[in-house]
Amino acid sequence: MMQILKTLRIKPWLPQGQETEPFSVATNKEKAASTALKFFLAVITVIFFLFTVTFLQRTQSYDFQALSGEPWLPFSNASMLWQNSIYLLMASISIILANKSADLQSFKGVVISLTATALFTVLFIGGQVQVWQQLNQSGFYIYANPANSYYFLLTGMHALHIVAGVLVFIRCIWLFSLDLSYQTLASRLKLCARYWHFLLFIWLFLFFLLTGDAQTFKTIALFCGF
Amino acid sequence: MTEMENIAIADQVDDSSHPNSFLTKYVWSQDHKVIAIQYSITAIAVGLIALVLSGIMRLQLGFPNEFSFIDPSSYLQFVTMHGMIMVIYLLTALLLGGFGNYLIPLMIGARDMVFPYLNMLSYWTYLLSVLVLVSSFFVSGGPTGAGWTLYPPQAILSGTPGADAGILLMLISLAIFIVAFTMGGLNYVSTILQARAKGMTLMRMPLTIWGIFVATILGLLAFPALLVSAIMMIFDKVVGTSFFMPAILSLGETLDHSGGSPILFQHLFWFFGHPEVYIVALPAFGMVSDVIAVHARKNIFGYRMMVWAIVAIGGLSFVVWAHHMYVSGMNPYFGFFFATTTLIIAIPTALKVYNWLLTLWRGNIHLTVPMLFAIGFIFTFTHGGLTGLMLGNVVIDLPLSDTFFVVAHFHMVMGVSPVMVLFAAIYHWFPLLTGRFLNNSLGKFHFWGTFLGTYAIYLPMHYLGFLGVPRRYFAMGETDFIPESAQTLNAGITVSAIIVGLVQLVFIANLIWSTFKGKKSGRNPWQATSLEWQTAQFPPGHGNWGEHVPQVHRWAYDYSVPEVKDDFIPQNISPEEVEYLISDENNSREDK
Ligand code: HEM
Ligand SMILES: [Cu+2]
Repeated sequence: MMQILKTLRIKPWLPQGQETEPFSVATNKEKAASTALKFFLAVITVIFFLFTVTFLQRTQSYDFQALSGEPWLPFSNASMLWQNSIYLLMASISIILANKSADLQSFKGVVISLTATALFTVLFIGGQVQVWQQLNQSGFYIYANPANSYYFLLTGMHALHIVAGVLVFIRCIWLFSLDLSYQTLASRLKLCARYWHFLLFIWLFLFFLLTGDAQTFKTIALFCGF
Repeated sequence: MTEMENIAIADQVDDSSHPNSFLTKYVWSQDHKVIAIQYSITAIAVGLIALVLSGIMRLQLGFPNEFSFIDPSSYLQFVTMHGMIMVIYLLTALLLGGFGNYLIPLMIGARDMVFPYLNMLSYWTYLLSVLVLVSSFFVSGGPTGAGWTLYPPQAILSGTPGADAGILLMLISLAIFIVAFTMGGLNYVSTILQARAKGMTLMRMPLTIWGIFVATILGLLAFPALLVSAIMMIFDKVVGTSFFMPAILSLGETLDHSGGSPILFQHLFWFFGHPEVYIVALPAFGMVSDVIAVHARKNIFGYRMMVWAIVAIGGLSFVVWAHHMYVSGMNPYFGFFFATTTLIIAIPTALKVYNWLLTLWRGNIHLTVPMLFAIGFIFTFTHGGLTGLMLGNVVIDLPLSDTFFVVAHFHMVMGVSPVMVLFAAIYHWFPLLTGRFLNNSLGKFHFWGTFLGTYAIYLPMHYLGFLGVPRRYFAMGETDFIPESAQTLNAGITVSAIIVGLVQLVFIANLIWSTFKGKKSGRNPWQATSLEWQTAQFPPGHGNWGEHVPQVHRWAYDYSVPEVKDDFIPQNISPEEVEYLISDENNSREDK
């Protein structure tokens, strides 16, 4: 922040000593990709932030029926969701390991940890789909109640982002298989890892948000002034 | 990190990506210049559709019921498609996808965008969104007629034209557009932040780049709101959720919806919609600053303040959205807050106008066509800005809301003004693309036709608004409060609109003709300092810079420098070379 303010105070029309200039020498792709990813995460944050605001407001509507709190509500027992969270956590961890193995140039390590990442990510998506099916089977249809609508909408959006990540992930592996350069693989996996962690964080947030009971929502809404 | 990799996208010309077949050179191209042209041609093409639609609307308004192919439904559909195409698919795409793509790498001294492939993908995704949008003209029920604001519940209820396929295609097209924009936008910001030439500090960037940069960030943060509302509305329409739909009776039937909030949609829409105004305006602000500086041979007045104003406007634009909703029945304190922020945002905006004027003040003004359009912009923008100040006040907005006064206001400020800058920019940078000038006489004709013509269209509209003529009305019918003379005025406006429309055809003809037959411009015909004019090849070739990327030694506004030959110093001229320029001048004087 201070840096930005400092930059904005520079007077470009005065002669400037070369050495004091904050050169931004044309840099490497890795840095550019990292910048792009930061902005992309900001975009996703805004998307989920806006969803969340509309959701919180809706929790206080007369027709909102929270999905937990009473024994017959689906997420009073959220063990399925816990299980999915663990899958995603494992995926996040194994992608770090993959990054480490690429650093160490261990082919075996790379293969094992990448397989683990893929496996756990697929398990997560599968688990999410299963939860959707269970909700449908027990009559919690998407249109039946705003809480259900938001559950499907938000987890669906989250799953979509995971799928997009998987596509990029597959591309990383594909490119690695072409040139077998550990260095570029490591730098790509570093960004993938950041994305996975971010989506893990979003998921945990959604988990907390969507499985709240009426009382929790009331408190949050009061706190936020809805 | 090795040295080689550090310069990977700077000094190395990547031969593997050197396009050689026609297809890779002009169709599946990853060169930012080609992508920019693809974006521009597509945007201008849909823009022409929107222009024709506005002409048709005007025919109905000026000569009611003379034309049998316009009925009340199709009128609404034309209004909607006209508005949406103009704002999103023309202006946003042309300013950022077109000019952003073309100018960013050239003006900051990069070889290309940092992610050329993503850039190419962005264009094709944009084209897809355009095709989806246009396809809605051909589905049963036609395109949506909900107004470009797409307010539910009416947008998705039968009774509104295009409430089935039309609205869905619109929402899907918008979602696709946002994906395309995000791909492009991430590229623009990362390129500006990470691929500037040596010495090109942020505060040495031309204002064009500052405008594009901040506008792109606004777009990245604001389009999600439109995406969110589009997705939720698709759900409401397709799977029967009630995010926006209240319990409602439609054509005598109770629908299954209940509990949703239409106002929520308005908040989301305008949380996107207001920054959108600045997504369009900021690049225009930047480009007009540079055009004015070049053609008045003066450094831009208050460069730092110009940058601060761009940043401040960008920030403030996120906290004014509800001034579009004064009539939605909001809490008076809420309205007060938004009226205040709206008036505050006028401060940096006015500052920019003063700085443009002060740049012109005692400048060496060349009344070239770009300059004419730039000066025209100052008029139209000030004009639209002042009516904006009026509408920003709740008490004034309430009676004027949804009248032609609003139509006049937003056309002046975000229709005509950015278009004026676009024209200025096209006339200014056309030689860079083609090595030829656009025809000057046709250009002057185009300017006066457009400038006077738009005034003839929009000035009377303010007056119609005061009379109470509502917007989005197919016909007025019998009313006591609107005098007969309003119809005469409407007929006059229509005639002007048709003329303005035809004048644009002259421009298109000029574009095509000059591309092949225009007068040769030679290098750097406007004697500009910024890097895009200093490329090795002219017009710039693949990779932009030949052997080495340029090194930057100064800001972009060293004009009318005393003693220097040609009165300006390009950004890539080092202090030693400046001495050479001076002595060169003295030598030539001695020769004479
Ligand atoms: C010669 C040029 C143009 C003419 C004659 C024209 C004319 C019109 C007319 C007649 C309407 C409908 C008014 C009503 O019935 O409510 C309209 C609406 C609109 N126009 Fe234009 N227009 C022109 C250019 C533009 C441009 C360049 C923009 C870009 C921002 C633009 C943006 C809009 C928007 C956003 C609406 C509102 C649509 C709605 O109410 O949903 N127009 N225009
Ligand atoms: Cu606004």
